[in-house]
Amino acid sequence: MSGVEARDEMVDGHGGLRPHWRGILSAFAALGEGGLAERALRLDRAFAEEGVSSLLPGASSEEHAWRCDPVPLPIQAGEFAELEAGLAQRATLLEAILDDLYDGQQLLADGALPPALVFANPGWLRVGDLGGNKLQFYAADLIRAPDGVWHVLADRTAAGGGIGYARENRRLLARVLPETFRPMPVRPLRPFFEFWQDGLRRLAPGGAANPTVALLTPGTAHRQWFEHMYLSRELSCALVEGGDLTVRGGEVFIKTLKGLQQVDVLLRRIDGRMIDPLELEAGSLIGVPGLIDVARAGRVHITNDPGSGAVEAPALAAFLPDLCRRLLGEELRLPSVPTLWLGEAAALSRVLAGPDGWNLRPATDGNADALSPAAMAPESRAALLARIRARPWEWAASAPVEPSVAPCLMPDGLQPRPVVVRLFLSFDGTGWRAMPGGLARVLGSAREGAPGRGGIAKDVWVLSEERGDAVGLPLLPQPRLALRRTTGDLPSRVADNLFWLGRYVERLERAARLVRAAITRLSRAQALLPPELSELDALGRCLAEAGVIADDAATAAATRLMAGALLTSVRPGATGPEGTTDGGAIHALFVTIARLTENVRDRLTGDMYATFTQTLRAARGDATSAGRSLDGLAHAMVSIMRFSTAVAGVAAENMVRGGGFLFLDLGRRVERAQAVATEVGFALDQPPAHVETGLRLALELCDSAITYRNRYLNVLQPAPVLDLVLADQGNPRGLAFQLVAMHGLLDELGGESGVREMLAGAAAGLLAEVEALVAEVLAAPDQAVSASALPPLLAGVAGGIADLSNRITRRYFALLPAVQTVGLTSEVAELKGAA
Amino acid sequence: MKYRVRHVTTYTYAQPVDLASHMLHLWPRVLPGQAVLSAAVSATPMPSRHSEAADHFGNRVGWMFLDAPHETFQVTVDARVEVGFPAPPSAADTPPWEEVAAQARAGGAGAWQAAEFAFDSPMAPADPGARDFAARSFPPGRPILAGLLDLTGRIWRDFTFRPGVTTIHTPIARVLAQRAGVCQDFTHLMLSGLRSLGLPSRYVSGYLRTRPPPGGAARRGADQSHAWVGAWLGARHGWVDLDPTNNIVVRDEHVVLAWGRDYGDISPIRGVLLGGGAHTVAVGVDLEPI
Repeated sequence: MSGVEARDEMVDGHGGLRPHWRGILSAFAALGEGGLAERALRLDRAFAEEGVSSLLPGASSEEHAWRCDPVPLPIQAGEFAELEAGLAQRATLLEAILDDLYDGQQLLADGALPPALVFANPGWLRVGDLGGNKLQFYAADLIRAPDGVWHVLADRTAAGGGIGYARENRRLLARVLPETFRPMPVRPLRPFFEFWQDGLRRLAPGGAANPTVALLTPGTAHRQWFEHMYLSRELSCALVEGGDLTVRGGEVFIKTLKGLQQVDVLLRRIDGRMIDPLELEAGSLIGVPGLIDVARAGRVHITNDPGSGAVEAPALAAFLPDLCRRLLGEELRLPSVPTLWLGEAAALSRVLAGPDGWNLRPATDGNADALSPAAMAPESRAALLARIRARPWEWAASAPVEPSVAPCLMPDGLQPRPVVVRLFLSFDGTGWRAMPGGLARVLGSAREGAPGRGGIAKDVWVLSEERGDAVGLPLLPQPRLALRRTTGDLPSRVADNLFWLGRYVERLERAARLVRAAITRLSRAQALLPPELSELDALGRCLAEAGVIADDAATAAATRLMAGALLTSVRPGATGPEGTTDGGAIHALFVTIARLTENVRDRLTGDMYATFTQTLRAARGDATSAGRSLDGLAHAMVSIMRFSTAVAGVAAENMVRGGGFLFLDLGRRVERAQAVATEVGFALDQPPAHVETGLRLALELCDSAITYRNRYLNVLQPAPVLDLVLADQGNPRGLAFQLVAMHGLLDELGGESGVREMLAGAAAGLLAEVEALVAEVLAAPDQAVSASALPPLLAGVAGGIADLSNRITRRYFALLPAVQTVGLTSEVAELKGAA
Repeated sequence: MKYRVRHVTTYTYAQPVDLASHMLHLWPRVLPGQAVLSAAVSATPMPSRHSEAADHFGNRVGWMFLDAPHETFQVTVDARVEVGFPAPPSAADTPPWEEVAAQARAGGAGAWQAAEFAFDSPMAPADPGARDFAARSFPPGRPILAGLLDLTGRIWRDFTFRPGVTTIHTPIARVLAQRAGVCQDFTHLMLSGLRSLGLPSRYVSGYLRTRPPPGGAARRGADQSHAWVGAWLGARHGWVDLDPTNNIVVRDEHVVLAWGRDYGDISPIRGVLLGGGAHTVAVGVDLEPI
């Protein structure tokens, strides 16, 4: 089939426009000269703002860059109906094959399938039949041959990613190019997700009325993390990692703040082999020990089945027409690209006679790239053919089919480019239904690409016969929901991450304030007066305590060293001839905050996430461009404070009180309380005669100088200053405010009453201690002497706050000991001889 | 021959284990040549949940879940078994090895189940050294059993039984290079070699009688879990078990626990622990005639 000219999706063989493209092209024409390119830019920007390309290091690299072409790929109603019927048949067939392979294996006994495609297939798991439907979701990659026939390039039964991206493409395209949708009867995507969700709920063991469905993800490091998060929202299910789940008493639970919550259905988005380290891959840290046992007992339904990947084997395509007749009594409606399994002698000799006319793939690995002998260097081509001759059953060959081309916006206008289309189907217990839409990918030099690996995507439009296509679907009646307002169902891991996000954002802000205060003095290093030098000393100690600079750079006597250390603190690590250097402390905070933000992303609205990441990115950018300029560094510190303010503001205005917000706020209060106690202690660490210097610095560090002046004019005395920064419950930058807030938050958190009261009581105790300290200074005959004696006492308060933080961590974020496997590791057995 | 089996495994942990899941392959397998008169597997502390089933290979498998903190875990097997596997066919009567390989490759009736054991597995991967070593026992046209007996004898003669020089993760190439190891190593080596020739063969775990019968030869690997090779002779003759560590055909000195593709499929006790720190394991096996 190669050598034939590719079919053009838009233009027919006589140069005429296919009718279903008219609406799109006339809408583009109405945008005017350069209009489409301008919209394409806006589309790129929209994707960046939504954070589809993630903030995580590595994830934002070229490899993951994701672009959506503004030109959609329309498919006519009749054509889509045929595709849907063909794919539904294929899904039914694959389910029937899986049923046989996991129970009975009649296909092997009868010789309808060769043993190599099953027993040497890594997707086929030796865990027996877990029962129920093996497939509830199915995706297929399709290309259209020059003769107009759609061919399946690959079946996706394990996870079939990309549907989240497809929906995101549609959403953003509709926002950026609304005009193009108006003349076209485009079928909406949302009803499919309701159908899918409904099907998931029906999978619950024992037909539970209000089942808990959870999406199991490998976590933020996975390249499809965005999609997992997106799907968990679209399907209204919990997003969990293996560590969030635990098996007890033959059932599987999510570990939440309130306790264990049972899971009925797991939407699997991790490799089936990794799902249970007890029975499968022993080293898997992303799985749940004992999960397979629960599934086998029918107490949880995992979908798609952990072993469903077996039918992704490329060589299976060679057998599907026969298997379809045998298992379904029908002809296969939708062909695969012509495929041979080289374990058959005739197929092998045919391919070896002319290897350059074939694409070669591992027989059982549906995710490996195809190799094209024609395009290989002679040595690697010879090596490949030798490998095939030695173990031919490990290979499949497919005939190259020229994919159809569709117009894409390129720098020089619309250009035809080859496309592959991924369509998605779901099963509701009675029938398969396809999402009326899909994810088209523009093929570059490589023939294939996978969603999440970057490239150019296109939105697929399925046109309906008439406008106002029916939306109503027969759905499982949803039972009336009980009202819930508790914080309890937050997974402990999420609460933990929010708490630390709060702490690190505050830590970054404190660091920025200290750095800025130091720069103000350093930038006129020649003219520093003795009081300013002692302020700089105190600042240096605060900076060293916060880990921003090293101790030897922390004194006013070493101003150049201190300036250098401050500039270094924002630099990323570098790999040089002397090895890798760690990044600076402030840089490390950036990285940690980015990671934590990503970890809690599913708890943030899109706007909040965008605010967090954009202001953080801006601050990082300013820090990077500071170079060797203290002035630039000061500017970066202002950006950091803007970031911190934005986080506080957007959280306060957008997050529902309770649950996540409580922990974010609690983390922030704990960190600020500890910092105020520590920093005021350092500031006051002066001989009584110089206490005024310390007081001024304390006011500056607590951003309270203006308030003080409004209250007391320019008279600086220890008791009023300390009252304002330590004991005044109305000063949000002071210590008492934090302790009062902590008390309130801890009281609200709930849990068993004894523990709650103890933690809240500890916060109240610290507050009383601080009030007593200030009262003592007020009553002292010489306030300056009394204030100078405070530092060790304040250090004690800071220690008390750290202790409270540890107790919160222990109570709410179950510290998990390390997981280890035995029995498959190297054990030195102590042989005792006969027992 | 009737035996009493006692197999005690004790894990001792440096720190308490909070949560443990174990998968056990410890029940003697019921076979035409092996009657299981009684079999009991008990654990201390008592698991909070215990379930049993047949695994993919038809072995009896048990799962034990412990959710109370514990510092030791002890599993005891007490069983009484009667064994008497039939004598293998005369080697000359068995088909040429190439025919056996061809049957396995084709699959279908009579051969599809054996075919599973003709492919590489994680702990017995293809190894060119093992292939070359095994190939010397299989000149063209040689009857399969003649080749198998030759290979079993060569491993026994060429390799030294020496505990402690290998772990279960020692690669086959290393075992070949040092010409020493224990029963698992010899079994994995032989499996890798046979499978590279397309011959189905499986890993069998079990026990060997602790003391030889009066006047009999002392056996190696008797005081712990033992392992040997099950090899397929083609659809007509089925399977025969060969012990390369002792160069014998399995008849009445072995008790079969389970079989799989390699050790990983049927590890006697496998577990995932939360906590525990460093651990030590002590194993004691006793197989006495009764």
